[in-house]
Amino acid sequence: MRFTIFQESRKGSRKVNQDRIAYTYSRDTLLLVVADGMGGHAGGEIAAQICVRLFIERFQQEAKPILKNPLKFLQDSMLRAHAALGSYANQFSMLETPRTTCVACIVQAGHAYWAHVGDSRLYLYRQGGMIGQTKDHSKVQYLVDQGIIGAAEVAEHPDRNKIFSCLGGLVDPVIDLGKRTPLRNGDVLVMCTDGLWSVLNKEEMATWLTSTPILKTAPQMMREAEKRGGPDGDNLSAIVVRWGPETLTDEPSTTITETLGLGEFQTQIDHTLTLTDRKGVQRDLSDDEIERAIAEIQATIQRYRR
Amino acid sequence: MAVTNQALTGGYQLLNYRIDRQISRGGFSIVYRAFDETGAPVAIKEYLPSSLVLRTEGDIVRASSAENLTSFRYGMKCFFEEGRALAKINHPNVVRVLNFFRANETVYMVMRYERGRTLQQQIQMRQDQMSERLVRHVFMHLLNGLREVHTHKLLHLDIKPANIYLRTDGSPVLLDFGAARQTLTTNRPKLAPMYTPGFAAPEQYRDPDRLGPWTDTYGVGASMFACLAAFAPQAADARVQEDHLVSAKKIWSGQYSDNVLEVIDWCLRLDPLERPQSVFALQKAIREIPPKKRKLTFFGSLKRRLFTEIGA
Repeated sequence: MRFTIFQESRKGSRKVNQDRIAYTYSRDTLLLVVADGMGGHAGGEIAAQICVRLFIERFQQEAKPILKNPLKFLQDSMLRAHAALGSYANQFSMLETPRTTCVACIVQAGHAYWAHVGDSRLYLYRQGGMIGQTKDHSKVQYLVDQGIIGAAEVAEHPDRNKIFSCLGGLVDPVIDLGKRTPLRNGDVLVMCTDGLWSVLNKEEMATWLTSTPILKTAPQMMREAEKRGGPDGDNLSAIVVRWGPETLTDEPSTTITETLGLGEFQTQIDHTLTLTDRKGVQRDLSDDEIERAIAEIQATIQRYRR
Repeated sequence: MAVTNQALTGGYQLLNYRIDRQISRGGFSIVYRAFDETGAPVAIKEYLPSSLVLRTEGDIVRASSAENLTSFRYGMKCFFEEGRALAKINHPNVVRVLNFFRANETVYMVMRYERGRTLQQQIQMRQDQMSERLVRHVFMHLLNGLREVHTHKLLHLDIKPANIYLRTDGSPVLLDFGAARQTLTTNRPKLAPMYTPGFAAPEQYRDPDRLGPWTDTYGVGASMFACLAAFAPQAADARVQEDHLVSAKKIWSGQYSDNVLEVIDWCLRLDPLERPQSVFALQKAIREIPPKKRKLTFFGSLKRRLFTEIGA
């Protein structure tokens, strides 16, 4: 396989980044995952992290070096992630199950397969036009489908963040599977969270990504989107893949998988993480923060001394 | 044998405090009695989570792995929350923090030393039932302290007999604010103290958005219940599934005043909205002791006279 890949996750104006993105590939199969954790406190981060890790671990167990049934792999992984979130909440007596959206894509033997839950999206562009996309499991999407509101009203709708399917929710997730789609060289796959697509429409994204080397323009696109998010900007994340050898630039940016041995994997989990990893899903306290906390407490003790 | 954290030994000099002996050991800390430079006793709480073995000898706390260090530092936040919460409160019925400092790669909280025992010990030690007078006395004063806590927009969230200290003069002190505001951090993999079954309100298990003063009034009611029963009421999460809790009024009718029993039952309502909504409301209810025999109204006495005459 030959492709160029870019991924980035930015915090926007939020304190924590609840988005997680990752890709991994064997010699013959590529997996891309994007998850957008939901809920207060650390729950969202944990959910997205668990989901992404589970996809990667299962992929590495099963893609040796190809998956027998990519769509079944995607569906099973979604269901297992959903179950894993429930048992995680149980194990740590969490008051609320961590929840996340998820969109995942497999490319194998020149075909793309994808699945999604919630409102994280996949777009597939060919020659600047859109040939495939996911449909959000969201209230506003439902309202658009019913003809109750127009597509233009979505961005400002008060319920635009409400989704009816997610992993870790009370009810089993609705999982949509995309049909097997043959890829051609030059096709561009974009997977992103709502923090990106809500500030940048699909036509703009096409302009940024389909006729320029993605490793050059995708980072610019992310910066621009973060700026547009403004002071209330959500976390925003994207994985962009340009299929086939890079022809738009002479720079050696194409990933070539044939050099991988059988049973070998290359994995990239985004590291703009505020939590460390699956085992220690918690944020560290720096020496500075410790000193500040102590100074603050001492000052308070003095102030309230009688 | 399980390896445990080594406590500081008697005579150890910790800044300007001299450690005397260990008083207690909890999931997150060791509490020592110590003396300050004037020789006055203080209680010093050392942050040292028991789930992480960090000190097998000497005085310096060392994390054995990067992962342990992360957990250790993370739990330290909760210790800071407790310090922050207590530093603001200066009330005779709430434990007073005197100092807070960092040493031995961990943190310490110095508190006023109190003589006495916990209400938990009191319940376990006593031979006969706790008198209504004592129950009223302890809780009326405790509620003064709790009111002060709520005034500072803090919730205690772990009110139980083990956290209520009775001084030798009988006045109560509210201890251990380790759970206060810990709702801010729902995930603590290696450091997960949950609420105390029996004393925690149902919303603490499943509905953190609904925490409020009424959550602490549940703990107060459960603690009063424990004073009478010598055991905790059925855990709230189990009660939500199937409520086996018999009302205090049924169990102790005749042994305690209806007023106290009704207050306990009121505090132990599963629906947060049906409980006393504030400490003040609760205090008011306890204070209103109905007179033993109701004075007859004019019409009442007239009616009685009438009936007696007819009967005669």
